[in-house]
Amino acid sequence: MKTDGCRHWKEELGAYALGHLTDDARARLEAHLEGCPTCRAEADSLFAVSRLLPHADPERFGPAPQPPAELGKRITATIGSERRSKRRQRRLRFGLGFGGAAAATAMAVLAIFVLSGGSEGGPEQHIAFRALPSGVEISATLEPQAFGTEIHMYVKGIRSGTLCRVYMRGPRGEAVSAGSFRYRWGADDSAVLSAALDLSRAKALVVHAGDHTFVAPIGRAEAAALRNQPQQEEST
Amino acid sequence: MPPGALTDERDVREAYSAHAPELYGFAVRSLGDSGLAEEAVQETFLRAWRAGERFDPQIGSLRTWLFAILRNVVIDLGRARAARPTVSDEGIEASVEPFDEALLSWQIEEAMRRIGDQHRRVLVETYYRGRPYAEVADELGVPEGTVKSRVYYGLRALRVVLEEMGYED
Repeated sequence: MKTDGCRHWKEELGAYALGHLTDDARARLEAHLEGCPTCRAEADSLFAVSRLLPHADPERFGPAPQPPAELGKRITATIGSERRSKRRQRRLRFGLGFGGAAAATAMAVLAIFVLSGGSEGGPEQHIAFRALPSGVEISATLEPQAFGTEIHMYVKGIRSGTLCRVYMRGPRGEAVSAGSFRYRWGADDSAVLSAALDLSRAKALVVHAGDHTFVAPIGRAEAAALRNQPQQEEST
Repeated sequence: MPPGALTDERDVREAYSAHAPELYGFAVRSLGDSGLAEEAVQETFLRAWRAGERFDPQIGSLRTWLFAILRNVVIDLGRARAARPTVSDEGIEASVEPFDEALLSWQIEEAMRRIGDQHRRVLVETYYRGRPYAEVADELGVPEGTVKSRVYYGLRALRVVLEEMGYED
């Protein structure tokens, strides 16, 4: 039968698929379906849809809730900071030649960013400590915050149990304490500290680890000036 | 890395604008809490991005992949809830089954939202409310044949929308 001639039948197919036809109407339609593969195929595909209907709740056909506008921004901001810290970890890995342990460090860093919701306070800075003794890794990510600066420290390779005290140096060289932590071998190798000094005014980050002191410059100009100076103020 | 992998922030932004409303709508329905739903959607996109190199559009659609990740996130959230002392351990595995059922329900409800008002209306009246076609026709001020034909075109539209949404049975 020509498809055009089936128009009447086709419009019955919806009610048929929902089981709404009277016995007579259904018998007539089924007689037609016997001889019309096109309508039969259409009926099958409508049955496939009608079988799904009982799963839906008609009370829920109203407008769906929309995600809050800031959710997308929050996600891209978090991803942005993860990407930057990953890149940083990669640089460190190649630069210092340390192995798979860096992956664990990277994961710890990622965890911190996820928990803190990324760089909400503005662009963070990654601080590298150079000229470290062999096997020692120290780096930090600084995030500007309303209270001052949040410091994410990553330490590896120093003696377990070592007390690490962290300071930031202000514009006049004054030390602003950021607190302390104890490095434990095999444990989470990152620590979050904070200092009451605006990141924009900070000149250096200082870590006293046991009887060693490590200094890393903050900000470009300062970094250039300090480039040729030894970063390790005291040596073993 | 397969072409179409989800590797930079632009990919994620595009994936977000294409799929976040659906993921969020479903997360709200499934978790019953908009705060948890936000958390679930954020975690879904972060996991998707971290595993972005492994996404291969040859294997399945981005939407399917994101929903699979959301499924794991929702299960993890269920575990986190179950880990609280007041909830019994049985709640953990049981949460998988309702997820699939909830996802199916949500997809059909979403498809219903996307078809035209006229089509949805006749399906609601005749199918969900079980009202006679003649009565619905009267109420709408159209011939009964029109109600029948709207039911037919409504089901067709539903099928098309489900296909567009990537529904797979």
